Amino acid sequence: MSLYLAGMGWITPLGSGVAEVWERLLRGEEALAEDVVDPSGRPPYRAFRVPAAALKDLPVHARLRRASAISRFAAAAGTAALRDAREKGVEIDVARMALVFAISNGGVSYTRRFYHDIVASGAGAASPLLFPETVFNAPASHLAALLGITGATYTLVGDGAVGLSALNMAEELMTDEALDYCLVVGAEETDWLLSDAYTKWRLLRSQPPIEPFACSPHGTILSEGAGAVVVARRGFVRITATHPGGSYKNRRQLGDVAETILREIGASSADRVVTNANGTFVDAAEAFAISRAAPKAHVYTAAPALGEGVGASGLWQTIIAAHGLVTRSVPPLLHAPAGGSFHPANPAAGEWPHRQTVVMGCGLNQQVAAVSLALS
Amino acid sequence: MTFSALPVKNRRVAVVAAGVLSPLGAGLGPTLESLRVGRDCVTPVTRFPVDHCRCQTAGQIGDSILLEASGIEGPRGARWDRSGRMVVAALREAQRQDPGFQPQLTVFGTTSGGMTFGEQYYRALRAEQTLRRAPRWIANYPPQKPIIDALEACGISGPCQVIANACASGTNAIGRAAACIRSGRYDRVLTGGYDALSELVFVGFDSLQAATPDKCRPFDRERNGMVLGEGAAVLALEEMNSARQRGAHLLGEIAGYGISTDNHHLTQPDPSGVGPRRAMVEALASAGIGADAVDYVNAHGTATTFNDAAEGIALAELFGDRVPVSSTKGMMGHSLGAAGAIEAVICLLAMQENLLPPNIHFQRGDEAVALTIVANEARSAELNTTLSNSFGFGGTNASVVLRKTSHA
Repeated sequence: MSLYLAGMGWITPLGSGVAEVWERLLRGEEALAEDVVDPSGRPPYRAFRVPAAALKDLPVHARLRRASAISRFAAAAGTAALRDAREKGVEIDVARMALVFAISNGGVSYTRRFYHDIVASGAGAASPLLFPETVFNAPASHLAALLGITGATYTLVGDGAVGLSALNMAEELMTDEALDYCLVVGAEETDWLLSDAYTKWRLLRSQPPIEPFACSPHGTILSEGAGAVVVARRGFVRITATHPGGSYKNRRQLGDVAETILREIGASSADRVVTNANGTFVDAAEAFAISRAAPKAHVYTAAPALGEGVGASGLWQTIIAAHGLVTRSVPPLLHAPAGGSFHPANPAAGEWPHRQTVVMGCGLNQQVAAVSLALS
Repeated sequence: MTFSALPVKNRRVAVVAAGVLSPLGAGLGPTLESLRVGRDCVTPVTRFPVDHCRCQTAGQIGDSILLEASGIEGPRGARWDRSGRMVVAALREAQRQDPGFQPQLTVFGTTSGGMTFGEQYYRALRAEQTLRRAPRWIANYPPQKPIIDALEACGISGPCQVIANACASGTNAIGRAAACIRSGRYDRVLTGGYDALSELVFVGFDSLQAATPDKCRPFDRERNGMVLGEGAAVLALEEMNSARQRGAHLLGEIAGYGISTDNHHLTQPDPSGVGPRRAMVEALASAGIGADAVDYVNAHGTATTFNDAAEGIALAELFGDRVPVSSTKGMMGHSLGAAGAIEAVICLLAMQENLLPPNIHFQRGDEAVALTIVANEARSAELNTTLSNSFGFGGTNASVVLRKTSHA
């Protein structure tokens, strides 16, 4: 059984659409951080937000009228991925399609608002309109309704590695011959509360830039958006392997777990590794793993340009890997300090011939996963 | 892991160990005893204030029971959410039955994981209290943390998938775990579900007026809502030949699984019952059996007006009034992501003991839907094949078929 990526949809702080975002990455652009404000008036945090124009193609649907931002990002990315597949000549039969949705923090804005009402005014003030949108699978439900999916729909929860785990689940689902397609979506939305939590968790910095692979990590900046790919039995980039992933007990163990996963997925033959190095403790572990398991691979992370997209990041990385393979191009790696402990191959933007790319996700909360892609 | 190893179709999936902690009891034995006597384990909520809620009861696990069952205490217990302790308790029970079981994959279901830590963080933030504990609350709040920590505490490593398909999560997890074995990709998968009672979720269901101020009466004509519950259940699954070859004790078999999505509404099922019906039909087909082979259905049966009506129609269409049906949620409440896993364990116990678990607080069913409800008292019956349903917000529907191993 061979599986392929047949369509992609991308909603990011650098805009929407694979071609548009890719062009901006190639030019070395990075998203502008904006204030994320607390309705109660506490000091704001900085985060990368999706511009309103990025949702210009969002379908009109009753389910999306009151839906959370994360649901709207996912709907835009999911429909774009299907459109992309159809434009590439893949006939999608929705009756033979499953949906796997990767999520991390979920509809955090509605959840904060819902619980705030309870804390501030008591249970009687709780909104029955908000509560259903706080459920982790609400975005998947909206997307399934939008697309008319009536078969298997799964929401997978996890940290920044969850998008790659979702691709592994998609691969498992496709062993069922009743399925010909699986739409895999990852999404995230920013909120003041999330930034506050990650700050208290000592993972954020107050302002960009995100500096991957720095000697000492300075922290990351949260981001939002969605990525979606159509997994099919034919397409333009082959999924050569997915890995079910692993867990690390503590930060010291992360490098070893990541190395094992890279070796098991065959990264030694990879020309490129797309990581999610994001300016936190994961960078050193990723550097360690790559230097041992894929020492000759070119290394790229889009986190300085797009931010840490958590639930969306695995799908963003996959889109970057796939589009890089197809276009034989590579965006410049931004803000990787020359004096860092790890010196990834960092060619100038432009053509970069390569045939196999490994995508690795080391999440901030104990999970690691990987996927390997190659040109068809 | 790679495509080089193609799946071997239709392998069989044995349950070689199980553990459970719910309001019905800590462990398989106490759970069975509660089922036998139809014990109502729903009590007034004590974990948070419910003065302004319509519903004021839930199925709860006492702190002392949780402490004893999980063995987690002292300073190291502070980072544990209650749901994580529940998983540890259930997992340790399963490990005692089959100490040699080492899964290659773990697939669990939950809806809210460590939600109570998130609540503590937000309350402290808004009250301007000290946030000294905030990093611990935040790091342990994500829904996947309880199972990752429980696996670590029980000496299990390896990949872990956590499904959050609302109230169907537990059944989805079991179904996916079984499918991973049937496909030939894995021989041993650990599965189950967990959820602890939390204020946010409790008030949420109350705000929707989905929770009852009275007794939870699944399938009763006078039903007016659910009560929440909490708990965890664990099932150790293994490819049948592998389990037999090593002489594992077989509790039963996961014979079939079906999943469907109903796009009618985010919180209400299609009244026609099309979603549940499709999940059940798919589960039966997956098991290679017809509806006439099913001896008992453990229904989702939340006792909300709409759920029970839609499920009742689907059950009546598929099984008529031939098959005994009960919802065990009247006894223990609805434990959301744990429910499907707990109810799968209940099906295994029911087959093992040839016991039909009761649907308590039942007086009269809907006139339009003829179901054979196991009303109020457990009954004896030969049970070889059972079906367990779970349906959730988002229109997600899941059914699993369980079979007595000696019958297979």
